Amino acid sequence: MMALVQNAAEGYKKMEIDAIELSDSKAKIIIKDTTNAFVNSLRRVMLSEVPTLVIDDVNIYDNTSVLFDEQIALRLGLIPIKTDLKSYNLPEECSCNGEGCTMCQLSLTLSVEGPKMVYSGDIISADPSVYPADPKIPIIELKEDQKLFLEAIARLGLGKTHAKWQAGVACGYKNLSKITITNCDACGICVEACPQNIIELQCTTAVVTDPLKCTLCKLCEDACDIDAITVDQDESVVILNFESDGSYTAKELIIEASNVLQEKASTLKQILQTLQ
Amino acid sequence: MIPVRCFTCGKVIGSVWEEFTKRSESEDAGAVLDDLGINRYCCRRMLLSHVKLVDILSPYQ
Ligand SMILES: [Zn+2]
Ligand SMILES: [Zn+2]
Repeated sequence: MMALVQNAAEGYKKMEIDAIELSDSKAKIIIKDTTNAFVNSLRRVMLSEVPTLVIDDVNIYDNTSVLFDEQIALRLGLIPIKTDLKSYNLPEECSCNGEGCTMCQLSLTLSVEGPKMVYSGDIISADPSVYPADPKIPIIELKEDQKLFLEAIARLGLGKTHAKWQAGVACGYKNLSKITITNCDACGICVEACPQNIIELQCTTAVVTDPLKCTLCKLCEDACDIDAITVDQDESVVILNFESDGSYTAKELIIEASNVLQEKASTLKQILQTLQ
Repeated sequence: MIPVRCFTCGKVIGSVWEEFTKRSESEDAGAVLDDLGINRYCCRRMLLSHVKLVDILSPYQ
């Protein structure tokens, strides 16, 4: 609340975004001039409301493996599939009214005979542009004379329905730490105390080398005998960490999350405008 | 069979299982996990504590 009031007083500031780390599966983004509330809403959308394509129905024609049909179906459901939101609709939003058509369903087949280790890459998709994101996930090890033959149907869904549709993995955020060191006697106790090893002694004072790594544990504050070091957090700067399960790249994931959020806001606006 | 995903965070860990078992015979298991990008302890325990049962069960199929 404090931060909100402050921002209002200073007037609107455009937020500044900087990617510290951005790979296909993982991202660390620092957002300045924002609030925890905003970043948290992004985080929650990434976890529960970005649609992903996942196997939802399995017809098993033959299974003589060591796993039960249900267990095979569960394993298939957990395999992330590269999702293209432009060519698929959520079943409840599709023109077929959820009955199932090529715009909201994808058929995949798996037909294997042992002895063989069956991988997610062995699944054959009816749409060549949509396939399991990681081809190396073991599904089941078949021994001599064991067979597995099934057809699966993948649908778009939301993480709030079932965790298999959850696109974001381990999404979390923290504020940037603000470490102030005044009248330091360079005793070095805080250097020893810091579990992240980000405090260094330079001549007559301790210096923080990488405030991004600070976990706000305040061990340095406790260790200091003369109270020269204080750890605070800057509530207008948020460090957002997230990973993708493979159905999107990390960049696509956060873009989709912002789209979902934007859509919600515009729906709200539309409804309010019709009320007058 | 190794679970497809970590029970806690949902990261796909099944795909590194074979490389992990092969390499950890000669290397330090912790170092292999670091190298494979399995950083969180929830995901690490999935691989470290897994017991393979397929070979034990398959004769009774
Ligand atoms: Zn449809
Ligand atoms: Zn995990």
